[in-house]
Amino acid sequence: MLLFAPLIALAVFALLVPVTYRRFGRDTGWLLAAGFTVLAVVLALQLPASGDGEVVTASWSWMPSIDVALRLRLDALALLFSLIVLGVGALVMAYCARYFSRGRHVWLYTLMTVFALAMLLLVLADDVIVLFIGWELTTLCSFFLIGGVRSGAAGPALRALLVTASGGLALFAGLILLSVHSGTTRLSAILDDEAWKSDSPLATTAAALVIVGAMAKSAQLPLHFWLPGAMAASTPVSAYLHAASMVKGGIYVLMRFSPLFAENPLWTWGLITVGLATALFGALLALEQHDLKALLAYSTMSQLGFLVAMIGVGTPEALAAAALHTLAHALFKATLFMLVGIIDRQAGSRDIRELGGLRRVMPVTATLTALAGMSLAGLPPMIGFVSKETMFAAFHDLPGPAWAGPVALALTVAAASLTFAYGLRIFTGAFIGPTVQRRLHEPSLLFLAPAAVAAAGGLALGVGVHTLNPLIRRVAVDTREQFAAVDLHLWHGWTPELALSAVTFAAGTALFLARDPVDRFLQRPRRRLDGEAAFTACYDATMRAGARLGSLTQRSSPAAHLPVPILALAAIAAAYALHPIAVPAPPRPTTFGVDWVPVTVLAVTVAGAATRRSRLGAVILVGLTGFVIGLWFLLAGAPDLAITQVLFEVITVVVAVLVLRGLPRRFHSASRRRTAVTAGIAVGAGIAAAAATFAFTGRRERSPVADYLLHETGPQTGGSNVVNTILVEFRALDTLGEIAVLVAAGLGTAAIMDLVAVRGAERTAASEQAEVPDSALIVDVVRRALTPVLVVLSVYLLLRGHHEPGGGFTAGLVGGCGLALVHLSRPAASRTPLPPIQTPLLAAGLLVATGTGLAALAAAEPFLRPAHGHVDLAGAHVSLSSSLVFDLGVYLVVLGMVAAALNRLGHYGVEAASGAPRDAPERAGAGERGDA
Amino acid sequence: MSAAVAVGILVAGGVFLILQRGLVRIALGFILLGHAANVVLLASGGMSTREPPLVGDGVPADTADPLPQAFVLTAIVITFGITVYLFALARAEGDDDDTEADP
Repeated sequence: MLLFAPLIALAVFALLVPVTYRRFGRDTGWLLAAGFTVLAVVLALQLPASGDGEVVTASWSWMPSIDVALRLRLDALALLFSLIVLGVGALVMAYCARYFSRGRHVWLYTLMTVFALAMLLLVLADDVIVLFIGWELTTLCSFFLIGGVRSGAAGPALRALLVTASGGLALFAGLILLSVHSGTTRLSAILDDEAWKSDSPLATTAAALVIVGAMAKSAQLPLHFWLPGAMAASTPVSAYLHAASMVKGGIYVLMRFSPLFAENPLWTWGLITVGLATALFGALLALEQHDLKALLAYSTMSQLGFLVAMIGVGTPEALAAAALHTLAHALFKATLFMLVGIIDRQAGSRDIRELGGLRRVMPVTATLTALAGMSLAGLPPMIGFVSKETMFAAFHDLPGPAWAGPVALALTVAAASLTFAYGLRIFTGAFIGPTVQRRLHEPSLLFLAPAAVAAAGGLALGVGVHTLNPLIRRVAVDTREQFAAVDLHLWHGWTPELALSAVTFAAGTALFLARDPVDRFLQRPRRRLDGEAAFTACYDATMRAGARLGSLTQRSSPAAHLPVPILALAAIAAAYALHPIAVPAPPRPTTFGVDWVPVTVLAVTVAGAATRRSRLGAVILVGLTGFVIGLWFLLAGAPDLAITQVLFEVITVVVAVLVLRGLPRRFHSASRRRTAVTAGIAVGAGIAAAAATFAFTGRRERSPVADYLLHETGPQTGGSNVVNTILVEFRALDTLGEIAVLVAAGLGTAAIMDLVAVRGAERTAASEQAEVPDSALIVDVVRRALTPVLVVLSVYLLLRGHHEPGGGFTAGLVGGCGLALVHLSRPAASRTPLPPIQTPLLAAGLLVATGTGLAALAAAEPFLRPAHGHVDLAGAHVSLSSSLVFDLGVYLVVLGMVAAALNRLGHYGVEAASGAPRDAPERAGAGERGDA
Repeated sequence: MSAAVAVGILVAGGVFLILQRGLVRIALGFILLGHAANVVLLASGGMSTREPPLVGDGVPADTADPLPQAFVLTAIVITFGITVYLFALARAEGDDDDTEADP
């Protein structure tokens, strides 16, 4: 379980950053550096130094039903990468403390810490799902760290995200394939599955998917183009993510899956080809750069190519070489990035054409750059020298045809020569030659310290490289399950590799001395050898296709697309009409003679509502229709519905009339043709709907569910109004959803009207003055008489809902009618708004309803299950249910919704809403209302 | 039969209105379509037993199906919410609720 400690600690660090930043400012970087160092030591101590194959594991149940768990596993490979992540992380954090000026960098420190957490999760994961989560988290952190610095970086950040995330999807597909066929998501179990260690199509597919993911993450040709763009991030981010750790994520995954795929031809030759091409091409591109940071970016790509090729070779020696070079590269590349950042800060430029002779004014920086550069170029006694020689040696045992080894070796030497040449360029470009800027000076020692530690580390580990023998050998065992015949020493005697190194130095020096012809050669126009053009074309095509697809449904006029679903429904109905299905005859008559009364009235009111040109007339006719529907509900044996319907109709009409103020009195005119077409669609839809309704009405006996509810309501709930008990007890979760929709609609209405109030204030104020007469005296009298009655009635309806028609919805509406009366009875001129009660009412209602459910949970009952009890009140036996409290929530939400409708729609454009005097429209400008 | 006719009338009127110009008419059309949906829901319980579903009242065999009634009750509420929202949208553009540019 100790393995979780570093992850938890990093999460705590990330959370603490805002607090410590307030106290320590940019020195937070030092604290984080100390924390990272402690974590690195803790991790290193967990893995016993001796004993091959010993691992530390930890597991935390997560999704047991699909056998996914937070499994962690620390072996030598994971330890190597963890130490790089935490060690370089500590150095970069310390560097940040002086690189950044005083200011707000909380976000950056937090993200860098989260990134370290994600990286650690990736390398410690022993579950493919956890591994993938770590992988994607690093991608996301990289996106925010690239794009979060300055506005111009959004493009490169997005490109980096899309490329690496697409690669991540390929990896995900590969991981799913592996886990499905191995029957577990546990990584170490998958890695033991012999079925993958063949070149079956399935294994090759999985290998290809893993390779694509790693290529995207580790910037391999042709997916490398995001990495130079990522240099838009600040230098510490580049040093940490885009040189030392994140781009190593792909290398880690390739090494991790080496036990499965190392013998697979696609793995071997694919990785060697891609890796060497990237190494060579990246080094060429690096040589032509003038911006030191861009140069380092291409250099990183090139070095990652070496690593990928090594993993392709796949022998234990090659993987040992890859492990050593990963460490060496992390050390010297992070150092170089930090030093370039220092040069940039001190000299104000990273362009080698503008820099020069800095060794005279910045000797310490020059020395450190020389050390790191020597490691990059592979010069003794640096760690980079040993790792390069080990890589040369690894090509000896390249499997396959006899010519492959020498060819691969030749390409490697060529790329190494180019590396040597651009390494020299970095140093001479910045530090040799006439001193252009004489007034520069060294930065503070604290700023230099992290780079100095890293450079010294590269030197110490070069001289003392034999101390790494146990770790590196164990990595080989972890990745190839074989002992690697590597014996790391600075001096190996007169070996063929030493000769190759000599060739490299000679060729590199020659390339450096022949600067001008080389530059001319490199600057020639040539075809770009990368996927950037393809990426851009794909991206643009996707965006265009999306825009076209969207424009199909995105019309300004609803009438343009509303016919589509209607006609589709009519088509389904027509299909049934052509192939009639046999419907059983109703067991009992479904039509009563009295039904035709509401239907006849309905025909009249609906026809009127559809054809009236006057807005007020149409609204009144729609309202009448609602009342007729209420009558229909009453006839159908649904008194609760009838009451609710009628009350809602009252409020709807009130709101509609309020809305109509200020709108034109008559509807827009339409052409005859349009009227005819829409009428045709309408009649077709009406016939289809009627036929469908007829086809299924009353064709069966009452449903078993209905019988259950009718029988169980009394015993289970103590209530007798079945509809109400369904709402608040049997299906309370549905009701909770419904009132959530109501709350959303209420808040949405309020939000829209808040926006509108600012825009349309003056216009409507003028029109309303002319239209609304102040003759509310009668309403006022009615209000005085009726409001107390309504209040009492609403409470009564709420309380009795469990047994008789009533309940929260109905009661809330009666209360809402009271609000409407209060609102309407005031003369328009002095009509002050109701207090802004809608939001508290809506919130309180939702809280009360949810709280009832949570209370049930707290009592170890299922969510929303009501509690029942009995009270003897004044001799009468009263059954009580906690669902009454739930109904109270419903009541409050309905009241809040009505208040929102009245308050916002009713006061639209009325000056009184902002508290300004009504008779001063010229002062009630948009600005004032905006303040109100 | 009567339920089918009622649904036909309401759907025809509602569809006609939502295809017209102006958001207030569209909102009125939605109200009518809401009524139609509620009548359909209620009809799904069968229109042959029509006693109110109150335990202890009337003949149990003649009691109406309570489940569609519960559905309709919440549907009425939702229709109201949507209607108010549509009305708010109708006023969002100031003193005209036109949904189409002049031809």
